[in-house]
Order: sequence, then structure tokens, then C-alpha cells
Amino acid sequence: MKQTLLATGLAASLALAGAMPASAQEPYKIGVSAGLTGYAATVDRAWRDGVELAAAAVNAKGGVMGRKIQVVVEDNRSEPQEAVTVYRKMLSSDKVDVFVSGCVSAGNFAAAGLLLRAKVPMMLCSILPTQAEHLPWAFTTLPPAGFEIDKRLEYLKEKTQIRKIAVLHDPTPYANLQKSVAERNAAKYGLEVVSVDQYKQDDADLSVQVSKARSAGAGAILKIGLGGTTLTAAKNIKQLGADMLLLTSLEDLAVFGPVSEVLGDKFFFVASPSQVYEALPEGALKTGIKAFLDPWREKYRDRDPNWASRGWDGVMLTVAAIEKAKSFEGEKVRAAYEELSGFQGTTGIYNFRPDLHQGITENPFVLATIEGGKVKVVQ
Amino acid sequence: MTISPSITSPERRPIRLVGLLPWLFAAAVVGYAMVVGGYAATVVSFALIYAVFVTGLNLFMGFAAQVSFGQNAFAAIGGYMSAVLTASHGWGPLPAMVLGIAAAVLAAAIVGFPALRLKGHYLAMGTLAIGLITYEITVEWQSVTQGYMGISGIPPFGIGPWEVTSDRGQLVLLSLVVAACTFAAGRIRRSRFGRALSAVAGSEEAATALGIAVARYKLVAFLLSAGFAALAGSLFVHIVGYVSPEVFGLHMVIVTFTMLYVGGIGTVAGPLVGALIVSLLPETFRAFKDYQDLAYGAALILLLIYAPRGLASLFAPRGRS
Amino acid sequence: MSFAVAAKTQARVASPMAGVTPPILAATGLSARYGHIHALHGVDLRIGEGELVAVLGPNGAGKSTLLRAIMGLSANSGEVRFRDEVLPRHDAVAVAARGLVLVPEGRGLFAPMSVSDNLELGAYRLRDKAEFNRRRERVLTLFPRLKERLGQAAGSMSGGEQQMLALGRALMAGPKLLLLDEPSLGLAPRVTGEILETLGLLNREGLAIVLVEQKAPLALELASRVYLLSLGRIVAELDPRDITSHDDLAQHYFA
Repeated sequence: MKQTLLATGLAASLALAGAMPASAQEPYKIGVSAGLTGYAATVDRAWRDGVELAAAAVNAKGGVMGRKIQVVVEDNRSEPQEAVTVYRKMLSSDKVDVFVSGCVSAGNFAAAGLLLRAKVPMMLCSILPTQAEHLPWAFTTLPPAGFEIDKRLEYLKEKTQIRKIAVLHDPTPYANLQKSVAERNAAKYGLEVVSVDQYKQDDADLSVQVSKARSAGAGAILKIGLGGTTLTAAKNIKQLGADMLLLTSLEDLAVFGPVSEVLGDKFFFVASPSQVYEALPEGALKTGIKAFLDPWREKYRDRDPNWASRGWDGVMLTVAAIEKAKSFEGEKVRAAYEELSGFQGTTGIYNFRPDLHQGITENPFVLATIEGGKVKVVQ
Repeated sequence: MTISPSITSPERRPIRLVGLLPWLFAAAVVGYAMVVGGYAATVVSFALIYAVFVTGLNLFMGFAAQVSFGQNAFAAIGGYMSAVLTASHGWGPLPAMVLGIAAAVLAAAIVGFPALRLKGHYLAMGTLAIGLITYEITVEWQSVTQGYMGISGIPPFGIGPWEVTSDRGQLVLLSLVVAACTFAAGRIRRSRFGRALSAVAGSEEAATALGIAVARYKLVAFLLSAGFAALAGSLFVHIVGYVSPEVFGLHMVIVTFTMLYVGGIGTVAGPLVGALIVSLLPETFRAFKDYQDLAYGAALILLLIYAPRGLASLFAPRGRS
Repeated sequence: MSFAVAAKTQARVASPMAGVTPPILAATGLSARYGHIHALHGVDLRIGEGELVAVLGPNGAGKSTLLRAIMGLSANSGEVRFRDEVLPRHDAVAVAARGLVLVPEGRGLFAPMSVSDNLELGAYRLRDKAEFNRRRERVLTLFPRLKERLGQAAGSMSGGEQQMLALGRALMAGPKLLLLDEPSLGLAPRVTGEILETLGLLNREGLAIVLVEQKAPLALELASRVYLLSLGRIVAELDPRDITSHDDLAQHYFA
């Protein structure tokens, strides 16, 4: 029976895929669980490209402690159960040594238990898992949620007369974290949060939230979250004739052109150093970024470097940890991550500690606006 | 004409070996995963959880020929009940699961009374809405569900100090659950209730005219399938130890429909075969990288061309007409 | 409509007590809607115990709606009494429980299921195994062809066989009153003759039957009384023996 043959063939090919023998002299394997499709696709594809670029750069210099780096990427479709499957696949079939995984936080949380049992550490794009027992094995390149907020609050306090602000956020974990930071920290900057509203990533109209913010007396809207909603918010502000500033989160620079055309000098955005490279003063940071940005621009030209730069950092931090530990062993690399301090990355200086797995401790962000088609740093 | 005292009906043929093939296939896949462990065990474990869900879906869609796009709602209720009660309130997995299933069946009863008056497209749209609303609730009700953050630290199954944490232990547990569910579906199929569902599937009006209480049987089938869905949801969270809204999203509806049709809607073995095939196919094509989805899609199309009524129907003891 | 059917001549089976026997079914002022269309307007109808009554009428006269209204399947008003008991109006399951069995338009077979399963579902309400076997044997005796096809899917049989199965399934329910909606539809004359012959037999054994037909001559041979239905109203109640020519009937149709 043809169909039976097909079924047998399927089973057989699965068997084959699982039973590949591991050769003796292997490269050092970095696994990447990334949402190459689904909602995280833009961010995670950039992250993956940054990881691969870094691996190529390390290999070009002879690898790490004599071993070449091999990157294994699997698409988790931005879904947690897919993430569990691909983590499992990379652990048991590919036998990866470490993970430098993307921004699908739910996927990384769901797999955290597996890594704990396998004693394989992960350096993430996303926020850290909440479960205490999972924390020792997870590290992140992500700056604390408060930094993006603080930079905006700082600007409003120092450069404007605005004292009442509104917060507009989407329901993702990261946005929720930032929202609570905004509520907590506003007072420190002499500001008052007069309205907090949530929207969904696919909302096509935010005028209700915007007019609510205006009637509450807000002079500026802190928008937290990614995607096309930033342009929607800008258009709604203009349509309603609201005299408000719009300060948005870190985002792909490509999004900001149209927004700036709508709101002009009332639009500001948080940018990471690699996004405003040209405007940076000479120094260690600029040199750090240059190492990444030169090959990046050679390969990808004008593509936004933000997430890719952190993927690059993820690999470079891992290389540094291996060299510090003088070992490829999961347990030792994990311990060495905790000792990495003063590491100059593209997103700032990483200072990990055993009790602090979020390495960026100084605010690396700037606040920028677009003036005459050029990015200009204002804070 | 003569009437023989014992009517030997030609439909009671001896069970042909070919009818066993789907079961042998399933046993081979699970056995393989048991031996190899690791990644294969994870893939097959998820497939078995889906098999529970699809077995329930099949009761409603296959046996009773109704449509529901909202079964993921009941999986979410079961899953979240288990997660919240165990991780946040320290319950044992078993009572949490039982309560989750009860809650899902109750929810199905509440929506089922009005929804099952709808027919065809309207029933489909109504159930789709139930699924979407439940998804929104899991996202928005952050004080309980923690929104997209999800709930972690959900304990694995266990009785007392003995917990099922190993791959093989989980596979054994899931295999037993799936065997029980499939056995139940087979019994239902052959029961008086199952025949009534077939009549409802054939023609609601003719069934009514024969004195079959169509509305009641549809509701019971709906409640049963909600119970299966909740069981699957609860199994999922205990096996993975984590839950977030995406787990029970629209993705689940699409995957389970694919499983039902690939396996063979209305057959007893279909849900299990479909769940295994649809879970294994993309993994088989993983090496294709960016072309994985393409290869997977092509394979699905081929399956539906050569086995339009599902894989299990190829092995069904009753011949194709 | 066609009157050109060469029916077998056969002894008239109409009861001499036609219209005199106590009624098994009496409908008064029965109206029904089909969707938004009023399809029945205050129909009065009486079926005697053991009587075979034909309801004739052209396409769209409301014949199917009448049977559905009696069964409680369509939205209707008015009163239907079955052996002096008022039937519930919108509860077909309860109506079926009293022993009224409808063989619907298009037969309503469960096409993918086997002949055997279809028969079994006919006796769905029956829990007595012995009685079940008795009825089943009776049906298979009446329709030996079904016996040869027990394992076959109902939908895969010929039209005549399907009609036999529909009738057989109805008999499995143990009907006290059988409602038949155009059993001759789409069948060859010979097969129609066979089926009508069986109906005659059942009627002679005492089963009351309402036979809805478009093809008048066939029904006229069996019926003890004939109702003519046109545009949702009973336009005439006739004794088949009074109908001497087809022209008589045609007059009534177009009156």
C-alpha cells in the first residue's frame, strides 16, 4: 500500500534525523531559539543575523580556544510549545553547548526547566524567567526595563515644562514591566502619570486612548511597545489636534521616518547607541560598536542594527566567558558569565554578578528625534 | 424466500489485519520515542497531548458532524485551572485537573445551550468567538493568568512524592491516557449514544423524526469534547511546567483541524494517527530550514489528495463504498 | 404532473368503513409556515384507524409541509389529535414517541451508514432485544433485497432499494401511523409498483397510512379516501371510486 509506505518512510526519516552520530572533534555549538516566523519575526531575524555575524567574526580569528563556533538556529514560530520542541531538539539532537536565544520570552520561560536539567546556560534577548530555580542558568543582554523609561522621564524633566504624562502600552510582558517602572519612577523626576492605557498590537485606532490622555491633562505620551501602532498614535494625535509630545520605545529606525513626517519636532524616540553611531563621541563604546557595525553594514547596509548588535554581544559575552573559565563546560561557562564585568559591548558596558544576570547596569540609551531627515540626539 | 434463524450479517467481517495498521504505527512511533528519548520524546509527547484534544474534537465534529472552532477555549480553561491552582495555590495536579475539566464542561454547557441552536456557518462563527474571547481573557486577566508573562513553576504529575518528570515516564503516562481516551471513543462509537450521533450527523431532521433527541445529543457530544480538550490543556501545562496564552491560541485550532482531517474525521484511530503525523511531519522537514513550511504544506496536500478521508480511513475495516 | 403511469390493476383495498372508523388522527385548523412563507392555511384532516388516505396535489401545494406539521417538525399552529390525545406542536421527538413515523421527502437515509445501521436507528427508541429481532426479520422478509445488502452503505444503493430501506427503517420504529412523502419520486414504474404493493399489504394488516403523492393513479388504487391539496388548502375530499376519469381530478386540481 502506497500510503503505508509513506507512513513508514516518515517514521524512518525521523529515526534517522534523531540518530545522527556525534563526531569526536566538534565545533562549539551555540543554539538559537528564535521566532523567525510569527510576531517576533522582525526582531528575532535581526538577532539571529547578529549572532551569525559574531560567530563568523570569531571563527575568522581562529575561533574560541581553538574551537570553531557553529550556530544552530531553530524557528520557534514565536510560540512557547514550539520553543520547547526546538530547545529539546537542539539539546538532544544537536547537543548544543550554550544558547544565545531570541526575544520570545514565553518560549524561553517554557524551556528554562529543560536547561536547568541539562546544565546548559542561556544568554537571552528577552527578559529573564521569573522562576527562582531557573534564574542561575539564564542571563540577558537586555538593559533593565527602567532605562528606556528613565531616559524619557529625564528629558521631560530637564528640557520641557511638561509635568503631566500619559502611558500607552501593549500587553506584552516587557511593556507591562516598563509601564510599572513609569508609574513608580515618574515622581522621582517630578512628573505625574495622569493616565495609563493599554492597546493591542493590531489596533488600527488609538484615538480613544489619546483623547483620554489629553483630557487628563497629559502633555506627553510615553508609548511602550513595538510596531505600526506608533504611526497610528502619531496620526491620532495630529487628527485630534492634541498639543502633546510622543515619546516612543526603542524600535527599528525604519518605523520612525513616517512618524516624524506626521508629528515633526513633537516626536522623540529612545535609541540604542548602535542606532546613533555617527552622533556618538569617540571612545570605548564607539570602538565597540564599530567592531560590529563595520561587518554589519558591509553585509546588510542600512538595516537597523539594534537587535543584531545585542545578538553580537551575546556571542562575544559567551566567548569571553569561555576564555575566562578556560572551559567549554556548561557549569563553568555559567559561573564565568557571572564574573564578567566591565565588558564593553555594543549596547553598553556589561557588569554581571552572581546576583545580577542582567548585565547592563548603566543606561546606554539616548533620546533622539529626526530633524531634516537626520537622526539627532537630544538627551 | 427463507428466513434463516440466525442472521449472519455480512458487515460483521473478522477484523482484518489492515485495520490494525494505524495502531501498530502509533505503537511504533511511541516505542521509538521511548527508546530514543530526548527530542523525539518531546515531539511525541506533544503529539499524544494533541491526540487527546483531537479525539474530543472528533466526537463533536466527526461523530456528530458539527463544527467548532472554539475547542481551544476549553483547553485553555483546563490548562489555566491546573496552572493557577497548582502553581499559585499549592493544589495537587490531580484535583486541579479534575476541577479544570469540570469547569470546562460547565463553560461548555453555558455556551452550548444557545450556541448549539446555531447551525453550520453560524455555529462555526459562534464557537470561534468563544475561542477568541477566552484567549483575550487569558491575556487581560493579569492578576490571575499573569498575561503574556505566563505562569511558570507548574509541578509535573505525580502521586504523593512520586513525580513523573522523566521523558519516558511522561510518555508512559500520556500513552495510557491516550489509550484510555481512544478506547472510550471506540466504545462511544459503537454505543447507542454513538449511533444516535451518527444519525444526527446523517440528517438532523430524519433523526428527529425517528425520536432521537438531536439537541440533547449534540450538547452531550459538545460537553464530552470540551472535557477532552480540558484534559489535554491540563496535561500540557503539567508536562511543560509553563503556560501562556499563545499555547491555546488560534494556532491550536489550525493544528488540531489539520490533525483531524489528515488522520481521518469520524474514525476512531484517526485523531491519534493525525496527531502523530502532523506533529512528526514538520520535524522531519526541519532540515529543510526556510523550506520547512513549504515541504510540510506539500506533504499535507499530497496526503489530502491520496487520502481525502484521512489516513485512518484507508485502514478502516468497512470497505469504501 | 403525469397521469401516464401504467399501474398494475389490483383489487381495491379501500376499507368499506372509510370515513366511518374512529379517527387515529384528526387535524383541525392546521396552519404552518415554511421560512417566511405560509404553506398551510387552516387544514382539517381526518384519518381513520387502519385507513390509507392519499393526499394529492401539485408541486408546491404544501403536501410535505402538511406531513412535517403533523410531525411537529415545522413551525405550525392549530390542533392535531392522535387517538384523542393532543399532540405537542413543536416536539417531533415526543410525536415520534406516540408512534407516528415520517418517511421524509428525499427519504432522509443516513447515507454513509450501512443498511443494517440504518435499520437499527429506526428502532432507536426500542430497548427490547427480542422485539427488535422480530421487527428486523419482518422488514427483511418484506424487503429481501435489503438482506443481501446489509453491510452496504445506504447511499450507494439504487433509488428503489433506498426507498425500501427508508420504509424498512420506518417499520423498525413500530409505527401506528405511517406518514409517507412521495415514495415514488424518481423511481421506475416497476419498482414503484413493488413498493405500493407492500404498502397495500401493510395497510391490510391494519397499519394506518398517510400517502402524499404527485402521481395520482398509483395512490388512487390503494387509498380509501383522497384529499386534494392546493396552495396550502384542502380543496376536495373524494372517494377514489367516484373519480372515473383523470379529467375529473384535473378539474379539481385547477379549480
